[in-house]
Amino acid sequence: MLCRKLIGPITVVAALTVAAGAHAAEIARYPDWKGAWERYVPPGSTPSPSGLLTPGGQPSFDQTKPWGRGQQAPLTPEYQKVLEESIADQASGGQGNNFDRARCMPTGMPHNMTFGPLEFVVTPDTTYILIGTQARRIFTDGRDWPKAIEPSYVGYSIGKWIDEDGHGDYDLLEVETRGFKGPRVFDATGLPLHFDNQSIFKERIYLEKANPNVLHDQVTVIDHALTRPWTVDKRYVHSSNPRPDWRESSCVEGTGLVAIGKEMYVLRGDGVLMPAKKDQPPPDLTYFKK
Amino acid sequence: MLYRGSIGAIALLAWVATAGAQGFDPGKYPDWSGQWDKSDAGPPRYDPTKPSGRGQQAPLTPEYQANFEANLADQAAGGQGNDTTYKCIPLGMPRQMTGVSPMEFVVSPGATYILFESAMAPTRRIYTDGRDWPNDDNSTFAGYSIGHWIDSDGRNRYDTLEVETRNMRGPRVFDPSGIPVHADNQTVIKERLFLDKANPDILHDEMTTIDHALTRPWVATKSYKRQRKELWVENNCNENNNHVAAGKQDYMVSADGYLMPVKKDQPPPDLRYFSPARKQ
Repeated sequence: MLCRKLIGPITVVAALTVAAGAHAAEIARYPDWKGAWERYVPPGSTPSPSGLLTPGGQPSFDQTKPWGRGQQAPLTPEYQKVLEESIADQASGGQGNNFDRARCMPTGMPHNMTFGPLEFVVTPDTTYILIGTQARRIFTDGRDWPKAIEPSYVGYSIGKWIDEDGHGDYDLLEVETRGFKGPRVFDATGLPLHFDNQSIFKERIYLEKANPNVLHDQVTVIDHALTRPWTVDKRYVHSSNPRPDWRESSCVEGTGLVAIGKEMYVLRGDGVLMPAKKDQPPPDLTYFKK
Repeated sequence: MLYRGSIGAIALLAWVATAGAQGFDPGKYPDWSGQWDKSDAGPPRYDPTKPSGRGQQAPLTPEYQANFEANLADQAAGGQGNDTTYKCIPLGMPRQMTGVSPMEFVVSPGATYILFESAMAPTRRIYTDGRDWPNDDNSTFAGYSIGHWIDSDGRNRYDTLEVETRNMRGPRVFDPSGIPVHADNQTVIKERLFLDKANPDILHDEMTTIDHALTRPWVATKSYKRQRKELWVENNCNENNNHVAAGKQDYMVSADGYLMPVKKDQPPPDLRYFSPARKQ
């Protein structure tokens, strides 16, 4: 028989214990996405000029196909022309539609999800995707879309956790992202998204049931540069290193390119400017005293 | 006197409490949610209680005091001195904790993350999983941070995060006035992060920097105030940056897209590699 004097304190301890247990139990409902998630490399990939293994060229939006034209993106005729002009400009030494990336502007969606490694930090209210210097925040706190979204390269994301298999745990994160600024590209050929920045991305992110070391991000892009929604299944492979080495990469440090106005030049190792294209005029020096 | 039946009940409750604590229990950690910005007025600086620049009274060695003075002279003449932000080089530690931009703390099992609105402040990962220092020489601007949660007041909840950061690379400075960090990048930074006892919407970062540019450890306490309603605005250095670095020279680009000098009588860039017919 319980002593009456102890009922009060025991009740408090019990309540706190239940709360602590409830906290931990809630956290345990979310999937374990910890660690580093590397870019998936499809079978048959070959080394690109940059050394990365790919189906062709630099890493691409649809991981199973080469970049640029190889993506067979469902572009409108107008934006197919943007792509062709970009490729032509790059062939002559320019940056084409990838000019802003070349001057170290943020990649934004969807290009930022191309390279890896990614890190997912899951909390009940927000899932963070850490990608180099960018962080995506996927709000899962039940909020509505704000009346006005501050545009950004990564966009504004709202997500919802789903218990797809009915086992009592969350296994799928559905995400919608809007509110962009640009220009943004699908890959470094300058494969374009529409300059109106009205892109909408819908994603389904989940671990592969047969192999939990593979994370899928099924992405559907709805964009006015496209004739129809474009869906690809991006995959990431879990790094076996229990303590991933998160290396810093600073675009401005490694770049040999200099943008002056709308022109891109090359900076030699000795710090002297060079043209990037044949017959490119030098920068105008009107403001320098003769 | 404790009744026998009560002893059993209490023991059972203790077991349940322990079992609940096997997983990560957010209830044991302080609430650092929200958006944090520096609480003092004036430009971001290492010691917020003092003016920036010489007013910081940084305990620099004679060699690095001379370096600092030369830097100030260059800035006065229109140059950037030691400050590399005009090239959008990451800020690094300790400068990125001076309130350069709003921050977010994400406390999770095994690590506490600090995310910054400014893309020039790399994400900090403070590992609290009990790991040792790595053997590799991978250095970053933000450094490698190991932390320990402390229950400093014995209330069975963590309230202080003690952090040590090493393995930084440079160049780094303490603040925009260019107070230098030693070029050997052997900086060690120790921090104690905790909420103000009287006002839980104030977070303190008691920071001690140990560096060979200094004659002694430099201690300062930074404070940040919380905004519960968050608004994250992308802050990209390259977006509106009209500086152009060509070699060791800094220039600017005018509103009409032409290159301009930043100092009096600054020579134009060397254009020897441009076709003679194209030069002006």
